[in-house]
Amino acid sequence: MKTKISHTTFDDNTLWGKLKEGDEKSFSILFERYYSDLVSYGNSLSPFEEKVQDCIQDVFTDIWVYRNGLQSSVVVKAYLLSSVRKRIARLNERDHIFRKAASTDSVAFLLKFSVEHDLIDDDYATKEKVSHLNKLLNDLPARQKEALYLRYHQGLTVEQIADMLDVNYQSASNLLYRGLLTLRKEWKGAFSLIALLSSSTF
Amino acid sequence: MQKRNKYTEIEDFLSDESFQSWILSKVDEDNWEEWTLESQQRAKLVEDARLLLLAMKVPDSGLSFSDVHNALQETWMKIENKENQIDLLKNNNLRFLRKYFLYGVAATLLFCVMSVWFFRNTITSTHEVVTYNELIDTNNEGLVEQTNNSDKPQIITLSDGSSVLLQPNSKLSYPKIFTGNERKVYLSGEGFFEISKNPKKPFYVYANEIVTKVVGTSFRVKAYSDQPNVEVLVRTGKVKVKSNELVSSSEQEVVLLPNQALRFVRSDLVFKKITNITEDEVLVKSVGNIEQLSFEFNDIPVSQIFETIEQAYLIDIDYPKEKLKDCHLTTSLSDQPLTEKLKIVCRSIGTNTSFEMNGNQISITSEGCN
Repeated sequence: MKTKISHTTFDDNTLWGKLKEGDEKSFSILFERYYSDLVSYGNSLSPFEEKVQDCIQDVFTDIWVYRNGLQSSVVVKAYLLSSVRKRIARLNERDHIFRKAASTDSVAFLLKFSVEHDLIDDDYATKEKVSHLNKLLNDLPARQKEALYLRYHQGLTVEQIADMLDVNYQSASNLLYRGLLTLRKEWKGAFSLIALLSSSTF
Repeated sequence: MQKRNKYTEIEDFLSDESFQSWILSKVDEDNWEEWTLESQQRAKLVEDARLLLLAMKVPDSGLSFSDVHNALQETWMKIENKENQIDLLKNNNLRFLRKYFLYGVAATLLFCVMSVWFFRNTITSTHEVVTYNELIDTNNEGLVEQTNNSDKPQIITLSDGSSVLLQPNSKLSYPKIFTGNERKVYLSGEGFFEISKNPKKPFYVYANEIVTKVVGTSFRVKAYSDQPNVEVLVRTGKVKVKSNELVSSSEQEVVLLPNQALRFVRSDLVFKKITNITEDEVLVKSVGNIEQLSFEFNDIPVSQIFETIEQAYLIDIDYPKEKLKDCHLTTSLSDQPLTEKLKIVCRSIGTNTSFEMNGNQISITSEGCN
């Protein structure tokens, strides 16, 4: 199941535990495992790429420096995403440019879902559908978009999303549900879904 | 991968990690492709999920492996800086503390020196004289105070059986019950002490600036707070006198034997030992009844013995005169406190004889002597 993860030798929690004990190698592995992902998530929250990378590095710096105070039972990915989100929100608060943004809630999820280049291989109909869906997705309210992203792209559980967005479980699952409902409604009107693609294309 | 057979919603697929990696990373470890083609309905669902997932793709961060690696190096540098900063902060705090600790020590020392100086000065100037009240304050055993405002001496019996004949205008403070390994009483004025013997619990009389220590004896202490001298006169046994540590730390002790006395000159804190009391006019004059009376009885009627005791302690003894009229005793009652004297007399008369004390009133009950 864990095919996505390249460092299959150690799972997150093992590395986290070793990191807490001061193992630099484990720290580095976790850093390399999540940095790229965190940058793309961070970029969705702030248009300033430089600052985003700074924030993420600060998150990791604090993790190492204050490793003794870290909780031992955390879902590492959720913890990292949440820390980055908080750090960027704080940065926005502090930054003069972002004076208007006052709390974590107001961090807008700017990310645009994009149509991948590798779809070029797909037939035209597929590309059409994906582009249309993509447009629908990007038109969703930012919160719903972020919830969908965290759920299906980062694989967080509804509880973790609720935690991150600072809402209760019901609100988080509502965000997800409403997002998908909108898509499905629009989608059914726009397509006849009879056409099945041969899976050989992907 | 059996759970996927129960998938009925797009969401089920979307949140399936294996499915995600098949669609997004084209890694098909669980044979999704084959599985999808098993049923048409399933294929439709999978296609919807695939499209949605594809539409949800986010742009890659665009970071190469070396970008990530560089970021990691930068982070390690940040960590080093931060750790150095924290160390510096800690050191600063430490230095701060150390600096102020020294100031604190210096200030405390200065304060101590000044208080000692002040204390000594005030002690030597105003506390040369220690009064009864100050002595009482140093004791926290919960004292009982007895004052004799009458014009006659008054008898006080202490919990250990010792008796004190307290002179007019004198007062004595003593614990209701003696506890611990010491018996301490505080005197202002004059008293004649007859202490019941108990070598394990020495008896101390604190009077003005002096302390008199005995284990069992009779002696007189005269320590009026408005008189320049404190006097101790010994009748029987042996006493040790030293100055109260409130006025002096010297351990100098003066030992007094029977018919010796001591005069303490309060203004100079000096002891004057008087080895022959008959030569000292002041002492001769002030010798009370009790000290002149002899308690050596040789075949003496009980009534006469009681009379002697009555005179010595200025008490009334009520006894059945008829029943005891033919009783004669030979006994030595010197060096015994009042209660001991009474006990000895009663025991000598017979087993059916006892006494009861009620202030200055003693009543003897007896069925006659053996």
